Amino acid sequence: MKRRDFLRTTAVGAAGISLLGVPFSAAAAQSITLTILHTNDQHSRIDPIPDDGRKYGGMGGMAKRKTLIEQIRQQEQNVLLLDCGDIWQGTPYFNFFGGELEYKLMSEMKYDAATFGNHDFDNGLEGLNKMLPHASFPFLSANYDFSKTILKNRFEPYKVFEKQGVRVGVFGLGIELQGLVGDNNIGGTVYNDPVAVAREMVQELRDKQKCNLVVCLSHLGYKYDNEKIDDLKLATQVEGIDLILGGHTHTFLDEPTLVKHDSGHETLVNQVGWSGIYLGRIDFSFNKTTKKRTDMRTALLPVNIPVTTS
Amino acid sequence: MKQNASKYIGGLLLLLSLGACQRTFVASPSLTTTDVPVDTAIMADPQMEAKIAPYRQEVSVKMSEVVGIAPNALQKGDYESPLANFVTDLQIIQSKPLYSKPIDLSLTTNGGLRVPLPEGNITTGHVFELMPFENELVVLTLSGESVKQLFDYAAEKKFVAINNSTYTVAGGKATNIKINGKPLDVTQSYTLVTSDYLAGSGDGLAMLKDPVKYEKVGFLLRDAILQHIRQLTAAGKPVTAEVQNRVTILP
Repeated sequence: MKRRDFLRTTAVGAAGISLLGVPFSAAAAQSITLTILHTNDQHSRIDPIPDDGRKYGGMGGMAKRKTLIEQIRQQEQNVLLLDCGDIWQGTPYFNFFGGELEYKLMSEMKYDAATFGNHDFDNGLEGLNKMLPHASFPFLSANYDFSKTILKNRFEPYKVFEKQGVRVGVFGLGIELQGLVGDNNIGGTVYNDPVAVAREMVQELRDKQKCNLVVCLSHLGYKYDNEKIDDLKLATQVEGIDLILGGHTHTFLDEPTLVKHDSGHETLVNQVGWSGIYLGRIDFSFNKTTKKRTDMRTALLPVNIPVTTS
Repeated sequence: MKQNASKYIGGLLLLLSLGACQRTFVASPSLTTTDVPVDTAIMADPQMEAKIAPYRQEVSVKMSEVVGIAPNALQKGDYESPLANFVTDLQIIQSKPLYSKPIDLSLTTNGGLRVPLPEGNITTGHVFELMPFENELVVLTLSGESVKQLFDYAAEKKFVAINNSTYTVAGGKATNIKINGKPLDVTQSYTLVTSDYLAGSGDGLAMLKDPVKYEKVGFLLRDAILQHIRQLTAAGKPVTAEVQNRVTILP
């Protein structure tokens, strides 16, 4: 599988840490691992995809995903579980219960945060408002302005999670709703330019919130061949995001895409198809020792490049 | 060996200098696993299953609810078909109480209707299979010229069904077009009810893009179909539709 090649590079990265003068194993013992698990475009797929010969038949299913997540939680101390929108729409569970079960099960799985996809507006702002009490996790949205709607002050643009002293800033970006969602369902929601908003978020999370890792939950879509903003364009135009987790285009990637900036900073872009067929997993290690030597500031070192000395 | 040592020192210095410019080292990348398949080998979590079970039961009961009876299956076909006629008829009937103005035409395509309605009991599940998408009904006001293009497209492609009209296909073009029994007047505008998907130029219906007016009925197509079948059943009527030779094909 192609993904394994990507992982091999990262082993070299780990070797880079040993340059500190401690053996690799000791360096590993001194590192903090952050495990990011993510989904996108679940589309109300509560039960596995019917195993009737169709593609991905038998795959997915929230009860199975829960088992998987629990297994990972037993092995890993620092887990963040995130979703990139379009939780709703696609099976009768949504048509009959309006999204109640989706939110309840995600709460059961202990999601840490999610952002909105266009289909999360399918029952309008009232429909969303009605279901929010079933979600024990926050929705993060930095570029939708709900201030003129019934959902005013209900959502934060970002949230900072702290895991063993490592600060992870997570913010959410949504797609232009006009044309995708009916006007009555958009209500007074205002869409703001994701690029400008993302730049503000990076500044806020890196400079003010002193985050070590900046993660964007995006429902913009992986890639378009026109001018429309997508995750790859966002990664290129905004420097300082470490990881963009995406959705909307239902893209399966062999491996996360790496976007490199002139400064050497790199942004990783990932997306895991749809319907919960896969659970995305990305592990980052943070070095305890070096962290102690400096103020907690942003990490602009490459995420995926070995720390070389020459 | 000495070289190695200096390399280490160099590394240390680099890291320290990075620290000095406040760029703390962060993520050494160790991507151990990405994209974990949620496959059949994984056991379902029993507590989650217990939470899902009552909802699943209710879905299954609701989907198997019989809403109507069809003496014959309603199939798809070229130009017009029992299924297309049934849906385009009900699009007008069900829109009327919500859209107070007259509706001249009603449109669907074979692609928009996913599967035929079977003979016998029609369940909610069948209607979901016929219309799995959340498409909603919209009324477009079109110029006579756009309507002419629409009929030509229908004549050429065969998969477009236009209700409340008759026409003749000659040499791949639509001729003798009559709407509500009256000849098409290209200087006049016409209203047409269809799904928002087709109105957004789905199935290549580019002439529907940029209409004179675009109005939402405020009714999902699936809900309109369900309500229509329920109303028929309540009135003691079966689910039927005839092919009335709305389209004449000249060799």
